[in-house]
Amino acid sequence: MSAPPRPEPAGASEGDDRVVDPRGVRVSLAPSSASAALAPLVLEPPELPVVSAPPAAGERASGGSAPPGVHAEVEGGPGIVLVDGSPIAAELVPLDLERAILIRDGAGGTRDRVLLLPATPAPGAGRSAVRREVIVGGWRVEVEVEPAARAALRERARRDRGDVGPGGPVEVRAIIPGVVLSVSVSVGDAVTAGQQLLVVEAMKMQNELRAARDGSIERVAVGAGERIEVGDLLLVLA
Amino acid sequence: MATSRSEPAPVASLRKDDRVEPPFRCVLIANRGEIAVRLIRACHELGMEAVAVYSDADASAAHIRLADRAVRLGPSAPAESYLRIDAIVQAALDTGAQAIHPGYGFLAERAAFARAVEGAGLVFVGPPSEAIDALGNKLHARRTARAVGVDAVPGTLEPAVLDRPDQVEAITAQAERIGFPILVKAAAGGGGRGMRRVTTSAELPEALASGSREAESAFGDGSVYLEREVSPARHIEVQLLGDVTGRVIALGERDCSLQRRHQKLVEEAPAPGLTVEDRRRLHELAVRVATAAGLRNAATAEFLRAPDGAFYFLEVNTRLQVEHGVTELVSGLDIVHEQFFLAAGRPLSEAALAAAARAAEPAGHAIEVRLSAEDPGRDFAPTPGLVLRWTMPAGPGVRVDTAISAGDRVPAEYDNLIAKVMVHAGDRDAAIDRLRRALDEVEIAGIQTTLPFHRFVVRHPAFRAADLSTGWVGEHWDGPAEYARAARSAQLAAGLSALDAAMASGGATVPAMPSSTSTRTTGNGRWHTSGLELAQDRWPR
Repeated sequence: MSAPPRPEPAGASEGDDRVVDPRGVRVSLAPSSASAALAPLVLEPPELPVVSAPPAAGERASGGSAPPGVHAEVEGGPGIVLVDGSPIAAELVPLDLERAILIRDGAGGTRDRVLLLPATPAPGAGRSAVRREVIVGGWRVEVEVEPAARAALRERARRDRGDVGPGGPVEVRAIIPGVVLSVSVSVGDAVTAGQQLLVVEAMKMQNELRAARDGSIERVAVGAGERIEVGDLLLVLA
Repeated sequence: MATSRSEPAPVASLRKDDRVEPPFRCVLIANRGEIAVRLIRACHELGMEAVAVYSDADASAAHIRLADRAVRLGPSAPAESYLRIDAIVQAALDTGAQAIHPGYGFLAERAAFARAVEGAGLVFVGPPSEAIDALGNKLHARRTARAVGVDAVPGTLEPAVLDRPDQVEAITAQAERIGFPILVKAAAGGGGRGMRRVTTSAELPEALASGSREAESAFGDGSVYLEREVSPARHIEVQLLGDVTGRVIALGERDCSLQRRHQKLVEEAPAPGLTVEDRRRLHELAVRVATAAGLRNAATAEFLRAPDGAFYFLEVNTRLQVEHGVTELVSGLDIVHEQFFLAAGRPLSEAALAAAARAAEPAGHAIEVRLSAEDPGRDFAPTPGLVLRWTMPAGPGVRVDTAISAGDRVPAEYDNLIAKVMVHAGDRDAAIDRLRRALDEVEIAGIQTTLPFHRFVVRHPAFRAADLSTGWVGEHWDGPAEYARAARSAQLAAGLSALDAAMASGGATVPAMPSSTSTRTTGNGRWHTSGLELAQDRWPR
C-alpha cells in the first residue's frame, strides 16, 4: 500500500497487546451482550503475512517502514479479509484512537461509524482474550476477542468431549494438561447442556468445561487445585 | 431532617429590563434530572435563586452543581426523597424560597402537594390544587368536556360498578353500544396503568376487575371506565397557559404519536398534516375545556385524532410536559418563564398573547426525541449504569436538555429519560435532516440507550411521510434484528482492529522464538515470553 503512514489503528490501546496473533482472531459476543444469540466470527488475513526480517522497534516507532497491510489491497476499495473462511471486502479506517469508519463493499456496502473502547481482560478467559465495548449506530455491543488458534483449540476440546455417543455415560477427560481451578458440580447434580462443569487453567488460560448434553453427574474424579494430565478422567456424566 | 448544604450565593440580576421585576426572589425546584436543570436555568435567567433538593443517589448530580443551595431529602427511594411532601415544603421554608416548581412526574400532579405548598404560605408553580383534583380525574375531565360541547373519546362518564354482579349485564350492554375493541381505563390513571384492552364482551368482567385492582394499587383509586379504542390514532396535544383572571390561551399543538406502552418516544410541533383551519379548531376545543375547568398556569390538553380527521378529547395534564421544548422552539416563547410570572399573579404577557395569536401558523418545525436508558433490542428494558462516554450534538438549530455527563451513573430508582434532543428548522423535512445529523453526533458508551431506535425512526420513509400512529413502533421496529446487524458490524470492527493492531505491532514478523532474555516491552513481548504461541503451535489444528 502506497498510502502515507496511518495513525495507530483505532483502539490499538494498552490492553490490546494481548491479542497480537495476526494469523487470525475470533470475535464472540460477551455473554452480557448477547440479546441475540449470534455466532462468533473468525477473521483471518487472506494469506498468512510473512516478512523476511523483523523490523526493529525504532523503525516501527518512526513509522519509516509502513507495516504490510493485513488486507490484500484492492484498487480503490477496501481490503479483503477472510470472515469464517469467506473473503469479505471490509476495512476499518481509523479516525482517532477510539473512532473508525467500518467500510464494507459489495452488494449492500455500508459505512459505519464505530467507537471502540479500550480493551479490558475478558473475565475468566485468561490473558490472551480481551473484552471491549464497541458502539455502532448507537448500539452497545460487548465483544470478546481472542486468537483464533486458541479458540479453535477450545472448540476442538469441546467437540472431543461430545464425541461419546448420547445415551451412555460420558467420561469427560482432560485434553490439555493443567490445574483444576474449580469444580462447579457434585455427584448427583442434574446438569443441562452447556452448563459449566469445571474450570481448568492450562497454558495460563482458563478453560471452562461445559456439559455436552443434559444428564446427571455420576462421578467427580478431580478436585480444585489438582494437577491433571492429558487423558485424565475428570468426571462422568450419565 | 432536611439539611442545608451551602450558604446562598448572591445572584446578580441578569435582566436588563428592570421594569420587569423577577417574579420571585428564590424558588425551590422539587425535582431532579434534566427538568430540574432546565428549571434552574430559567430561574437564573429571570434573576432568581434556585434551591435544589436531592436524594442520596443524586448527591453529585448536575442539578446540585447548578443550584444556589441544595437540600438533602433522604435515601434514594422516591418515597423517601422526591415524594416527601413534608420535607420538600420544610426545605422551602428553611431556605426562604417563596415558590416551588414541581417539574413533571413525582409530585407534579398531586393535588395534596399543591395544597401543602399553598397551606405553607408558598406559591405552587402550576395549576391550583382544585384544578389538579378536578382534571386529574379523567371521568371528571370527560364530563367537563361534555358540558362545553367538546367530544371526548366515546365511552362512559361514570365509574363502572364492580361490586354488584347484577350490573354485569348493564355494563356489557354499555360496552356493546360503545363498540369493541374497548379500553378499560383508570379514572385516576396515567402511563397506561390500570388499562386493559377488551375485544369481546366475555372478557369484560375480568378486565374490569383486574384493571380496577391495578388502579387501586397504583393510584389508591380503583375507579375504572370504558372508552372505545381509536385505532389507528394520532396523539395530538395542545399547550395551554392560563392566568388568574381565568383567561386561557393555546400556544400550539404537538404530535406525540410515536409511543410505546403509552410512553412517548418522539414529539414534534406543529402536528404534521393539519391545516391552519384544523389547528385553530383544535386549539379552540382545548381552550374551551381548560377554561371550563378553571385552569391556571400551564397545562396540556390531549386529544386523539381518528383516521377520519375527528378530534376526540382525552385528558388534561396539569403540569409542564416533558416535551414542552418543541413548542418553545416554534413559538419563540419560554414556557417556564411564563409559568413563573403567571404563578406570581401576573396576567398573560404580551409575548404569550402574541405567541397564541400565531399558534396556528408556527415558525418552522421542531422535533424532539427522548433518549432513555433502555435497551430497544430487549423490549426497551431499563439499562441503568455508569456512563463511560457522553457526547451530545450541538450546532445550528439543536437544543439538548440533559443532566448527564460522562462518569455519571444513571440510577435505577428513577425515570429512564436521560436526554431530550430537540431540533428546529424551517420545515419538517429540514428538521428531520437536522435531527438525523444531530443523532449521528451522539456518542454514548457504558449503557445502552434508545439511540438506535431514534436513528431508525429518523431514517424511516414512513416517518418522513408523517405516517404516524400510536401503533407505529410495533409495526416498524424489530429491535433484535437491528441489534444483530449492529453486533455483526461490531464483531467485524473489533476483529479488524485486533488484526490491524497485531500487524502494527509486528506480531507476525518476528520468528516465533520465545526468549526469556527479551527486554522488549511493546506489543508482542508478552506474547512471546508467555510461550503461548509455541504451545499453540504444538497442537494440531
